[in-house]
Amino acid sequence: MLEIRGLTKYFGGLSAVNNLDMTVNQGEIVGLIGPNGAGKTTVFNLITGFIRPTKGQIIFEQSDITGQPTHSIADKGIVRTFQLNAFLQDMTVLQNALVSCHLHPKVGVWEAILNIPGYRKKEQYACDHAMDILQFLGLDSVKDELAQNLPHGHQRLLGIAMALSANPKLLLLDEPLSGMNAAEVRESLTFVNKIRSAGTTVLLVEHNMRAVMELCDKIVVINFGCKIAEGLPEEIRRNKDVIESYLGPGEDVT
Amino acid sequence: MSKGARLVKPASYTALVVLLFLVPLFVKGAYFLHILIMAGIAIILTSSLRTIATTGQISLAHAGFMAIGAYTSALLVMKLNFSYWVALPLGGIAAALLALLVGYPFVRVKRVYFAMLTLFMGAIIRLTIMEWRGLTGGTSGLLGIPPPNSIVIPGFLNIAFDSKVPYYYLILALVLISLLFLHRIDSSCVGRTLLAIQQGDFVAESVGINVTRFKVFALCVGCFFAGITGSFYAHFIKVLTPDSFGVLQAIYLVVYMVVGGRRRFYGAILGAFILTLLPEFFRILREYQPFVFIGILLVIIFLLPDGLVSLPEAVKSRIKKVPEGQS
Repeated sequence: MLEIRGLTKYFGGLSAVNNLDMTVNQGEIVGLIGPNGAGKTTVFNLITGFIRPTKGQIIFEQSDITGQPTHSIADKGIVRTFQLNAFLQDMTVLQNALVSCHLHPKVGVWEAILNIPGYRKKEQYACDHAMDILQFLGLDSVKDELAQNLPHGHQRLLGIAMALSANPKLLLLDEPLSGMNAAEVRESLTFVNKIRSAGTTVLLVEHNMRAVMELCDKIVVINFGCKIAEGLPEEIRRNKDVIESYLGPGEDVT
Repeated sequence: MSKGARLVKPASYTALVVLLFLVPLFVKGAYFLHILIMAGIAIILTSSLRTIATTGQISLAHAGFMAIGAYTSALLVMKLNFSYWVALPLGGIAAALLALLVGYPFVRVKRVYFAMLTLFMGAIIRLTIMEWRGLTGGTSGLLGIPPPNSIVIPGFLNIAFDSKVPYYYLILALVLISLLFLHRIDSSCVGRTLLAIQQGDFVAESVGINVTRFKVFALCVGCFFAGITGSFYAHFIKVLTPDSFGVLQAIYLVVYMVVGGRRRFYGAILGAFILTLLPEFFRILREYQPFVFIGILLVIIFLLPDGLVSLPEAVKSRIKKVPEGQS
């Protein structure tokens, strides 16, 4: 589904991502891990077109999306969340979700302004869709709250709700579990599994090792922008390079 | 909501519009109609400025784009013998086209830098008008702009623009059409998208919104209505000088918007209406307008950050708080 070939990004003279190859197959949950500053978020920024790669190719569903603008990559089906709480502060939870709904079905600007027949139906459809997503993530009870007034856990989920409302084929989650307590982590893990069961492929960056090991079908480990390992969670757990560079020498992963 | 409650809003709007149509029957003084017409101009300008501001960009070129519409329309009528009724929309289109031209590079910069660029844009427009004497009359102004062509339907209707009354009805129609259009933007998913861009442009972009296109769209729509208003102004005042479209005029529009309350659609209308009427009733306010406006602005920013439209809610929450504190 997603194929990354020789992806390289230099910031000045420093390479943030260096000759990275990786693939994500339809229906998988893939984890991208590595120490702080390894270049994980840069990979996300490259895939979603926030920054252009120095070299390399990003292929999504057989078409080259390298260097395309973010909104058209989202239109093709890759949507990301952000590490920091990124949502629309001064809008309600439902409005936040609705903002992402305009891609499917597409609503033309003039169609909406002139209120031509069919627009109302599409708006109603978008509303139902957004409500379904909020219900799925348990946010339907706070749909009329301003996003800025939500507790932290809900705000993290709202970021995911916004991304899901855009109907992604591939969802990129950037540290979805950070700042969550144990119960919230458990809940979020079931959500990610459900998202996959519903047909969305997931690529996630996460520091919570236990969660990554439990959740992912495949794990890619990078350090200083280079891939140092790739494989099943079991293999990664035992990989010497990973243990040394990622967790420091002499420590057990579990 | 019950059916009765749902009918209250349209009914009160209709009543307001009917009332506005009846104004010239009661108001005989040309002076007062003149003030109302100027308020109408300010209302369209401020509301269209608000549409641009919804995306988080404050334009200081609005008076400049109004000048584009004004001069385009006046020159088309005077030099090329266009009918006013053709020149009016063309004035708007000229302003929108210029906005489209400069929009793509402009919207790539944000906040204060966007304001700076538009400030220069306004200055450039004014300078061009001043220097292009052969066409625009330069600083001495463009004189003798004809009134709009009479609306004649033989044997039925003959409206000549020979008093303030037909101008009043024309600006009223323009205000209603503009506000209807801008309100549709505001209340549809387009307005939601524009607001989303203001609140987090990278989030909006990441869920598939073409942020640049929407920003340019808002700029073009806003400038179109500024151009239309300029065209009306030209044939109403009948004299155009570059001084009518200075930086201060552009900043006043921002003041109207902030004082009225930029978060609500009605804020811009209220701010423009009150702040254009106020100086007319208190002569001293007109002479010291910048002083007075700075005072009003400070009071609003500190006491009513959401503008005059939020006054009822602010009062309500104040009243609610007091008994709680006492008990």
